Amino acid sequence: MNFFKRAWLNIWAKKGRSILLILVSSAILMFVLAGLLIRSAAVKATETAKNDAGATMTLSANRQAAFKKMSQSSSSSSSKTSRPKLTLTPVKLSDATKIAKLSNIKNYNVTSSTSANAKSYDTVSTTTGMGGNSGGPGGMKSSTSSGDTQIDGVTATSLTTTFSDSQSKITKGRGITASDKNTNNVVIEKELASQNNLTVGDTMTFKETSGDKATVKVKIVGIYKASSTSSASAGPMSTDPSNTIYASYTLANTIKGSKYAGTADSVTFNVTNPAKVSATKKAGNKLISSKYSLSTDDASYQSVKASMDNVEGFANKIVWLVAIAGTIILALIVILMIRERRFEIGVLLSLGEARWKIVAQFFTEMLMVIVVAIAIAGAGGKFVGNQLGSQLVSQSTTTQTTTSTTSGQPGGSGQPGGTKGGSGGPGNMQATSTKTKDPNLEIAVSAVDLAELGGFGLAITFLSIMIASGGILRLEPKKVLIS
Amino acid sequence: MLKTQDLGYWYQDKTQPLFQGINLTFEPGKSYAILGHSGTGKTTFLSLIAGLDKPKEGDILLGDRSLKQIGLTNYRRHDVAIVFQAYNLFTYMSPMNNLLTAMAITEAEHAGDRAYAKQILNDLGIGDDLIDRNVQHLSGGQQQRVAIARTMCCDAQLVVADEPTGNLDEDNTKAVIDQFQRIAHEQNKCVIIVTHEPDVAAQCDHQYRLENKQFTQLA
Ligand SMILES: Nc1ncnc2c1ncn2[C@@H]1O[C@H](COP(=O)(O)OP(=O)(O)OP(=O)(O)O)[C@@H](O)[C@H]1O
Ligand SMILES: [Mg+2]
Repeated sequence: MNFFKRAWLNIWAKKGRSILLILVSSAILMFVLAGLLIRSAAVKATETAKNDAGATMTLSANRQAAFKKMSQSSSSSSSKTSRPKLTLTPVKLSDATKIAKLSNIKNYNVTSSTSANAKSYDTVSTTTGMGGNSGGPGGMKSSTSSGDTQIDGVTATSLTTTFSDSQSKITKGRGITASDKNTNNVVIEKELASQNNLTVGDTMTFKETSGDKATVKVKIVGIYKASSTSSASAGPMSTDPSNTIYASYTLANTIKGSKYAGTADSVTFNVTNPAKVSATKKAGNKLISSKYSLSTDDASYQSVKASMDNVEGFANKIVWLVAIAGTIILALIVILMIRERRFEIGVLLSLGEARWKIVAQFFTEMLMVIVVAIAIAGAGGKFVGNQLGSQLVSQSTTTQTTTSTTSGQPGGSGQPGGTKGGSGGPGNMQATSTKTKDPNLEIAVSAVDLAELGGFGLAITFLSIMIASGGILRLEPKKVLIS
Repeated sequence: MLKTQDLGYWYQDKTQPLFQGINLTFEPGKSYAILGHSGTGKTTFLSLIAGLDKPKEGDILLGDRSLKQIGLTNYRRHDVAIVFQAYNLFTYMSPMNNLLTAMAITEAEHAGDRAYAKQILNDLGIGDDLIDRNVQHLSGGQQQRVAIARTMCCDAQLVVADEPTGNLDEDNTKAVIDQFQRIAHEQNKCVIIVTHEPDVAAQCDHQYRLENKQFTQLA
């Protein structure tokens, strides 16, 4: 093809102009690439956020249904019983195993809480003088009366948000794990340990608060430190947070009584893909009776996702704005170039060259320019993308964290905590899980990015030549050469 | 080989044509000079002959086919070669590449034949030292000779030139006109030259003067 050779001769002979064109195109493409990089980094960061931020689904007693039942029975038989009783059905672990088999469930944590009274040790009393063994005002208690030591039964401490968010940390020994099931192993708080001179390997005893008030002997396998802010199980009658002992849920169930075997206050499932949490909830609801309810919490995932969506949307706008502006700039340059080269075009036309081949020559020339420009932009785009990306993230995360604090109220039942059966359950957990991790944009030039850049480069070249070629197609050789 | 039939042309005003009812015949192996005062329409006439513009009136026939039938682009590519006063060459190419490009576009018999192109350039006094140099580094006379070499290496049977010696000194003018004569007589092509200079016209086989909208042949 002769026009190809002409294009090459022209690019080569007019090196200065070619280099200028390459520089302009590189600048345009560099911004396009920066936009593309930020966008793909945002997509990747959103993916990572799914794993990091995570989302949970909690199986617990259906309080709404329970309250409804309570009020119904109270209205129908108000004369007989003076006080209606709220019966919260403990969650059956067999239901939990069924839900755990759903495809989107990563793992789950069983929570069963109760309390006991100290026997071989002294509890930590709060500075306010509250709590202690007073037991507090009556409140609503499902089945047990309140002791001075809070026992949080879990599957594994690492699966609780208190530990996974690092509000509490194991300082000595180890946390409760799934292998502690059916054992009397416990993890106690640092302050309680030091006050009673207890350490890992020691044993301690407490008394059940109900039934035969039997003495339970437990073995300390770990010591944890609660952060000062983790007065999580707040409530007017609660004891000092240092008096919370972690144990396997089986131990908590044993203390509660034999009818609690194989049950839990609540079961929290960690989901693999937070984007599909509502579908998982739907599937889970089919597996359980209306006595139970599933509540989901993906607030932290949502807030990371929203911040990344912001960045992605902005990057998209950059890509298109730069692409459109670049097309216009290149088109103008080509139009000027064509004016400057109208004698050459006139000679070509006088030789009988087809007009489309003249357009093709200009296109080929720009193509050679753009290929070099893509290479240059590919090398430089990472730098621009990094600069722009870090700016964007720091901006959008500050705006996002302010909104995420408001969006993170506990979902679910909406009842105030304080019922012993539910404390440490969903309400508590949701309030703390809104903590947003700073999303990081990792800018890297991949083959896909380069391919996309190439696509944009080609489109920009093609469009600008198309826009400018109107001049070539209209050019009359007579007017050019004879005047 | 080329015939005009009642040819007429005007720019804006139909009642003020540059020329009208022109019936001329141009034969191969002959050179023709067209003289006339400035602004009479010589260049306009040539642009019609060269297929750069369409007649307003009448027709131009190559053999027995009108240019309209042949198609102007096709006609320019295969049947006519044009030499202008200036801007004849691709400025970003060497003389050699100018010739090769023209041969490629016009699908000439010798397309791609460097030896053939070199021979023609050498014949016209473009030495080996100039052949691969950028044409912008050639003198006006040398550039015009390259333009003539281009018409010689292509197969077009009709060569038209608009004041090809307008920018040249006496020596170069003579050399260029000699070449046109060779094109007519040795390559058996039909050469039509528009010129201001009576000396140049005198060397051609036939002379026409455009005056009062008519062409008159000079004795
Ligand atoms: N594109 C145009 N539009 C309108 N009028 C034009 C145009 N081109 C030429 N003319 C007019 O037509 C007339 C003939 O022009 P043309 O160039 O053919 O003359 P010419 O004989 O070649 O003159 P010269 O010897 O000066 O080159 C002139 O009066 C000119 O002003
Ligand atoms: Mg003229």
